[in-house]
Amino acid sequence: MKNLLFNLILFLSLSFGFSQTNKAFTFGENLTFSASYKMSGILTDIAEVKMQTAKMNTKSGTLMHLKTTAATYKSFDSYFKIRDLYESYVNPKNIKPYLYHREIDEGGHYKYTKYKFNHKTRKVEGLLRQKSENFPSGFWDRKTSVRFSYNTKDLVSTIYYLRTLDIKKAPIGASDTFKIFFDNKETQCSFKLLAKETINTAIGKKECYKLAINVSGSNVLKGSNANLIWLTADENKIPVYAKFKIAVGSGELKIKSATGLKN
Amino acid sequence: MKKTFTILGFVFAVIATLLAVLPLYKFAFIPAILALIFSVIAFLKARKKNNSTQFIQLSLLLTIISLVMCTYKTVFIKNEVGDTVKLEKREEQIKEDAKEELNDLNIDDLDF
Repeated sequence: MKNLLFNLILFLSLSFGFSQTNKAFTFGENLTFSASYKMSGILTDIAEVKMQTAKMNTKSGTLMHLKTTAATYKSFDSYFKIRDLYESYVNPKNIKPYLYHREIDEGGHYKYTKYKFNHKTRKVEGLLRQKSENFPSGFWDRKTSVRFSYNTKDLVSTIYYLRTLDIKKAPIGASDTFKIFFDNKETQCSFKLLAKETINTAIGKKECYKLAINVSGSNVLKGSNANLIWLTADENKIPVYAKFKIAVGSGELKIKSATGLKN
Repeated sequence: MKKTFTILGFVFAVIATLLAVLPLYKFAFIPAILALIFSVIAFLKARKKNNSTQFIQLSLLLTIISLVMCTYKTVFIKNEVGDTVKLEKREEQIKEDAKEELNDLNIDDLDF
């Protein structure tokens, strides 16, 4: 029993902390990033990524609309045009998701996904839409209903939820695992605090938490501790820089501007 | 040996020129530098033996063109996002649909 309690306390002290009230961001926050592709040590800017928060009034109350868009720069549009939209409607306090949309249009490849989270029945009602010539509408729709575990979030809300965690109390080496509902199934994603670093960004010199992201069973992100994210070590915990390894080469995400910050 | 350097210089010069035209123009610097090295070696060897240098000069010309192009693009071309009107329209449409769906949802844990 003693060992069990000790292990439990140890685990709690190593993890970032459980459900935090959101003190990191509010409605009207706008973050703009530049996405680059790296090959043979040379970086090329390819797209602009925007992360925005807004208010959404519903009959039940006010939700937070978290929107992330990605669009390639003009010079790339004629070769490989990307116009992606990822959005989530969440509880502004605990970032619990209710509705998630993902619409990707990448070089002519179109995919639309909608997840409706029912937290009472723990079921996600999903809609997957792809282009198909076999249907008169031109789209192939598939409806699904999948059970989800407690605290499972979508991709967008997980990124924002990470910002609400009390990282300053976590020691170096601490890690936490999250469940993300992506591609109609739950995927385990872990974050590990590697170090505290000061880096130069477009919004100034910032002291940051350097976190490693590992996605189990995913073939999108490659390598162990090769996917990193730097969050500012202040109350806002803005993601200012990210490095990720993909099948061919690697990529970077650098902040260009940040407005509407809470603190 | 001269022939090998001449061929390598020309191949890298062509790759550099093609890359310099494409949006991934920054990658043209690597083959352009390699083309420059191989072509200069081939040029010096050809001059030593009093051989024709016309083909090597073509490689050098292509290399210089690609280097000028990618340097100009790197310094002067600003990154701008293309037309996003279609995306913005879809965003609006999805938002309207979302509003209807969220109104239908019975969210009872929003404590304000």
